[in-house]
Amino acid sequence: MYDLVYNESLKLIKRKRFYVVLLILIVLIPLFTYAQFRSAEVARSQIGTDDWRTMLQQKIVDTQNRLASSRIPPEWRDYLETQLSLQQYYLDHNIDPSSPGAVTFARGFMDQAISLFLPMMIVILAVDLVSSEFSEGTIKLLLTRPVKRWKILTSKFITLFLFTSLTIVVSLLFSYVISGIVFGYSGWTMPVLTGFTFSADTLDTSSVFVLEQWKYILMQYGLGWFVCMVIGAISMMISVLVRSTAAGMGIMMAALVSGVILTQMAANWEQAKYLFNVNLQLTSYLAGTLPPIKGMSLPFSLSVLSIWGIISMIVAYVVFIRQDVR
Amino acid sequence: MSEVVLSVSGLQKSIGGKQLIHDISFEVMAGEVYGFLGPNGAGKTTTIRMLVGLTRPNSGEITIGGHSLQKQFIEAIRHVGSIVENPELYSFLTGRENLEMFARMSGTVTKERIEEVIKQVELTEAIDQKVKTYSLGMRQRLGIGQALLHSPKLLILDEPTNGLDPAGIRELREFIQYLAHEQKIGVFISSHLLSEIELMCDRVAIINKGRVISVGAVHDMMEQFADHAHWFFTEQSIGKAVEVMNNCEYVYELQALSDGRVKCRMDTERIGELNRLLVHADVDVLRIESKTVTLEDLFLSLTAGTPGEEGENHV
Repeated sequence: MYDLVYNESLKLIKRKRFYVVLLILIVLIPLFTYAQFRSAEVARSQIGTDDWRTMLQQKIVDTQNRLASSRIPPEWRDYLETQLSLQQYYLDHNIDPSSPGAVTFARGFMDQAISLFLPMMIVILAVDLVSSEFSEGTIKLLLTRPVKRWKILTSKFITLFLFTSLTIVVSLLFSYVISGIVFGYSGWTMPVLTGFTFSADTLDTSSVFVLEQWKYILMQYGLGWFVCMVIGAISMMISVLVRSTAAGMGIMMAALVSGVILTQMAANWEQAKYLFNVNLQLTSYLAGTLPPIKGMSLPFSLSVLSIWGIISMIVAYVVFIRQDVR
Repeated sequence: MSEVVLSVSGLQKSIGGKQLIHDISFEVMAGEVYGFLGPNGAGKTTTIRMLVGLTRPNSGEITIGGHSLQKQFIEAIRHVGSIVENPELYSFLTGRENLEMFARMSGTVTKERIEEVIKQVELTEAIDQKVKTYSLGMRQRLGIGQALLHSPKLLILDEPTNGLDPAGIRELREFIQYLAHEQKIGVFISSHLLSEIELMCDRVAIINKGRVISVGAVHDMMEQFADHAHWFFTEQSIGKAVEVMNNCEYVYELQALSDGRVKCRMDTERIGELNRLLVHADVDVLRIESKTVTLEDLFLSLTAGTPGEEGENHV
């Protein structure tokens, strides 16, 4: 098995898929850093103060004003109310939620990247692992060796999971190192609030506790890793089912993007919560934002994703082992 | 006779409700080049895909080196080296990386063996270049290299001369005959070119529309389907002509027809030679027509009695 995984890793690297992912991260993270830097500056110039307490108070007043308006829809009102209680909590406990620093940036990066950006990187890695062997005809060389088919697919899965983990580690590293140039490298021990629960559709802050930011980041990147593993498994299934790389890429991109759109639109369509692509925003459970659809929680999303991942793997194995290669 | 390396019996396969292979059976011995001759769409590639385990037959038995391919896949496939259709290798890897990759998958190939194969297929100079820079001939050689890497008992090549130039074809032919006759590998070659099979193979199975319609030694088969020549003489000289032609050892199945025409079978390249003999014997030759038997004719004559399946069989 070691030899097979070695072969697959060699192919993945020589196909330059992993380089593409690294390159995208290297180009985009400085961009995000700059955008963050600019928005911090603009906010500062608008409010005219550097004091975060004043800024937070400003935000609270803002939110209250919006809540006072009679035209806002009820689900939006729920969301704003949770926002408000959270901001109030930060203020009461003397915690600056947006204190700059590379670690905070890395946290923000994962919050933003977990539902679309990182899954897309994994799709780039995974979607042609099997289909390219078919389109290039090399599958015939692969399957006419004294190795069982399930072992070949397993070696591909192991390779994918290795590189998925590497992608997560690298994105943490890059976002920390690159943003640190601008924001400084401090912030590991900054306190962060977590432990929000949702009773019915209101935010329950009774079990909230303070966590050092490095622990929080660990949890966050762990969830990101889990999301990427599931996306990897689903991409592999698509790669087995669809013989063309372009079609596979299209299907996965459509699924991911429609997930983002659905989370904005599907608040009243409750069955949508069983789709994998609306369950990707796992880090928002940590941060205490209201889930897009009622009845969703961290254990729920983890279970939905696990089931999708496991079923994808089963389908991939069954089809790969049984199919006639033409 | 030597050991049977490949035995196929009662092979059947249908894809999408259409029966592509009807009951194919044959045996390949160690040390022989076995030709699998048929027109495009006859089921050659479909059969080969079953022989290497890429597709499953609906019924029938494939035994390689004494192991059932269906029941003992690993043991059976260990003895097979193959190129199915084109030699498709990883173009973004070098030749050596490709070979090393397949060596790792076989598990029994040493570094020395890789070097030996590289020398054997004459790729020593280009082996560390990316395969995408290779010419078709080099790819074909690397393809054979990967097939030979694990010292198989059976080599399966699907249309191996496709796209090769005449020199390359000749080289390949000599190499294949060396592998079979010197190294005692059983070589199974499919082709739609009669001339190729004739030059390369010891025995041949002719298939059409998914059925084996004739099996035999290439030599016998060629004799059976040798070229025809039609000779036209004046009435006075026809008796003399038949006499001369009967004395030629390379003319056979002579038929004198009443209209001054003589039909015979002979190597058409020797028509000039025979004509000279006739002229020396004072025979007036009016006209000569040579009729080369093409593969199509061969199939027509072979399939004449058999009711063919309707429709085309795409592979």
